[in-house]
Amino acid sequence: MSSAPAGARRISGDVPRGLALAGIVIVFAVMTNGLFLGARNLSMLAIELSTTAILALGMFLVILPGHIDLSAGSGVGLIGGVAAVLITKHGWPAPPAMAAAALLALLIWYLMGRTIVTQRMPAFIITLGGLLVFKGLFWMVISNATVPVSPAGDLNIYARLTTTYLPPVWGWALVVAFAGIVFGRWVRRAARSAKYDVDEGFLRALLGTQAMALFVAVVNGFRGVPLPAILLGLSAVATIVLSEHTAFGRRLYAIGGNEEAAHLAGIDVDKTVIGAYVLMGAAVAVTGFLQTAYAGASTTTVGDLMELDAIAACVIGGTSLKGGRGNARSVLFGALIMATLLNGMTLLAVPPEIKYVTRGLVLALAVWLDTRLAR
Amino acid sequence: MSVPILEARRITKSFPGVVALKDVSFDVRAGEIHALCGENGAGKSTLIKVLSGVHPYGSYGGELLVDGAPARFLSVGDAQKAGIAAIAQELALVPALSVAENVRLGDWPTSAGLVDWVEARRDAREWLSRLGLDVDLDTPVEKLGAGQRQLIEIAKALRRRARVLILDEPTAALAEAEAVRLMELVRSLRQDGIGIVYISHRLEEVFALADRVSVLRDGSTVSTRAATASDRSALIRDMVGREISDLFPRRAPKLGAVRLKAAGLSAEGEGGLRALSDVSFEVRAGEVLGIGGLMGAGRTELLMHLFGAWGRRTAGELTLDGAALKAGSPGDALGAGLALVTEDRRRHGLVLDQSVGFNLSLSTLDSLTRSGLIDFDAEAELNEQDREDLRIKTPSLDARVGGLSGGNQQKVLVGRARRSAPKVLLLDEPTRGVDVGAKVEIYELINRMTERGLAVILVSSELPELIGMSDRIVMMRAGRVAGDFSRAEATQERLIAAALGQVEGA
Repeated sequence: MSSAPAGARRISGDVPRGLALAGIVIVFAVMTNGLFLGARNLSMLAIELSTTAILALGMFLVILPGHIDLSAGSGVGLIGGVAAVLITKHGWPAPPAMAAAALLALLIWYLMGRTIVTQRMPAFIITLGGLLVFKGLFWMVISNATVPVSPAGDLNIYARLTTTYLPPVWGWALVVAFAGIVFGRWVRRAARSAKYDVDEGFLRALLGTQAMALFVAVVNGFRGVPLPAILLGLSAVATIVLSEHTAFGRRLYAIGGNEEAAHLAGIDVDKTVIGAYVLMGAAVAVTGFLQTAYAGASTTTVGDLMELDAIAACVIGGTSLKGGRGNARSVLFGALIMATLLNGMTLLAVPPEIKYVTRGLVLALAVWLDTRLAR
Repeated sequence: MSVPILEARRITKSFPGVVALKDVSFDVRAGEIHALCGENGAGKSTLIKVLSGVHPYGSYGGELLVDGAPARFLSVGDAQKAGIAAIAQELALVPALSVAENVRLGDWPTSAGLVDWVEARRDAREWLSRLGLDVDLDTPVEKLGAGQRQLIEIAKALRRRARVLILDEPTAALAEAEAVRLMELVRSLRQDGIGIVYISHRLEEVFALADRVSVLRDGSTVSTRAATASDRSALIRDMVGREISDLFPRRAPKLGAVRLKAAGLSAEGEGGLRALSDVSFEVRAGEVLGIGGLMGAGRTELLMHLFGAWGRRTAGELTLDGAALKAGSPGDALGAGLALVTEDRRRHGLVLDQSVGFNLSLSTLDSLTRSGLIDFDAEAELNEQDREDLRIKTPSLDARVGGLSGGNQQKVLVGRARRSAPKVLLLDEPTRGVDVGAKVEIYELINRMTERGLAVILVSSELPELIGMSDRIVMMRAGRVAGDFSRAEATQERLIAAALGQVEGA
């Protein structure tokens, strides 16, 4: 991967990020007498991480070309709410209801992206408008009430999104498959390129496999690998491949790095950026379903401030808000930090006002680091 | 001989991993123009930064003397107080502020705590008229041309009683006529007793102006001579460390069929402000068509319009290999067989933060894509070929392109343009800010490409380059063709006359 975009290869920031995460984990573990590291809580954390991280991955694709999406959190509520209302109030089966809501998300984000690029409007303003509009529409759709995701007594696929766990054996099968893939890649690369650092590659593959095995061992102690973790894994692989291995991803980096140069290099800037927004719409839809299912019902607060967690995850993960710099792996790391903070504080029964203050400070700290490291 | 106003003795300056200056001594006297020459990366910029206080005292070895007394500049402000002002290539003006505001930038006269605009305007007018610049004081600086902005910057420096003026490539962004005016101004400043450090890649200017010439190479002073005791070839030899026998090695081409043909092309920009009218020309396979003219004559607009990046067509036709060419965007143009190397490589050409390899393959990602994914091996192989073939000097293909010298950055852009296998290559000022050695390499590249049947359109502000490298030359003026010359007809005088509108040859 010698030719991956520059931002995709930076690992220097992973060390401070790792230390920060380790510090947070230790503090929570001690303060909760180990409850934080229990199988049940880590399973919950995996589900919460999935929602934060999938949205953050979508946000990453939008920030990469120098844009932003402030409407994502409201969108999460709206899309999850639309599906819930179609099911509960209109009697639709879950699959078509969710498909319709997802299509709506793609359409909305396509239109929003199109408006931003063709009308030359700042993404900040249009999506800030989106934040308010979607929030209002969301409350209209659910009539300011609580709408369950499935009719009473009938657990549909929507409700099962966050209550399904893979049997333990399947979890171990996943570990084996994962090991097969990473070590297979290692062997292929080592054989093909003389420049490839064989030892480092082996270490990475080994560490990855160990982390995966540890995760499976822990969550198997509760109910097994949660379904959202699988969805996150798929989203992560898709985002990494898209951003680092495709022309589309390369173009996002180029546009964020120098839009005029990208245009003159023959890149269809408008089309590429709209594509990023459409993918953001997809991330909003998936997150909307997961977040709403996790809450058990669509209520007015679903999705609140999630856009800021997503942006914070990107920035903590080293993505430059000016665009052109960042990588999906570190964004996952950033999301892990944000999700861990929230989960730990909830576990400690930290009052909501303190949670807000903490999230805000972490975001500010991350942006400060971003501007410091950008130079 | 009088004591130099500013003298640098045995300056050594290192950056992590590189020694930028080794034991460099340099001085400038009152009423003298001392030219500083050298290839990009030779250490000129570093020396200027030491002289003007950008690199503070203590960050370099050796000493600075002002009027023979040791001076320690801790900031640019200290240097300015001592009367030393550097006019950088990228000017320190605020684009949205007016001319008057910029002349007194940061030093506005006040009365009772409020800015005294009457005084500021009076003062600004006085200084500008001294430099022969007649502009509306209320015009925002962003509306002015590069030449006028430069004069404002000089006015700013003189107003602060600068006694040493350091001009870094002052004519790089200027067209011939403006450059001539600036050079006259520089001469008159010398008359007034100001010491001038003049940096330029244009050797004609150096010999036209300088009293002494110093050459830096690889961070060391190679020579300091009276200009009268030096000549072009000696200077070039000092700069590159070897002989360059032919500055413009254009080889007589074998002309093929007409590739690109414009007939009566008219186009206008946003709001119809700038326009092209009735532009006709043709360029054949293997031919270099030079396009000259003053700044604002429409040369860049013409290239950008051909490339689908500027203007709305109002009349005329464009054909490529006999078929109508419809390029609504740079993407279309590339697809049709045009490629462009832009005038401003840092702003419009390169993604500076990304690697050399990333920039080389940016226009041809689709052809590197196999079943949806970029084939990194194929990409690396092509990039490596280009690096060798174009002799791009870079530590690796993964190195940040923004860290390369101007000439190597330009080669990366030429490489990218060439990668798309164009039929017609549009080059806009391809050697601006590029050192002599790299210039010749770029010219050689043009030769090799035309030998393979490519047609080249070369826009240049440097008449020697235009005459030296073109097989035909079209001069533009105010968006129109003002003259069309064969290689034999083209002389500097004729071309300038056409650019100024005193039609004679056409």
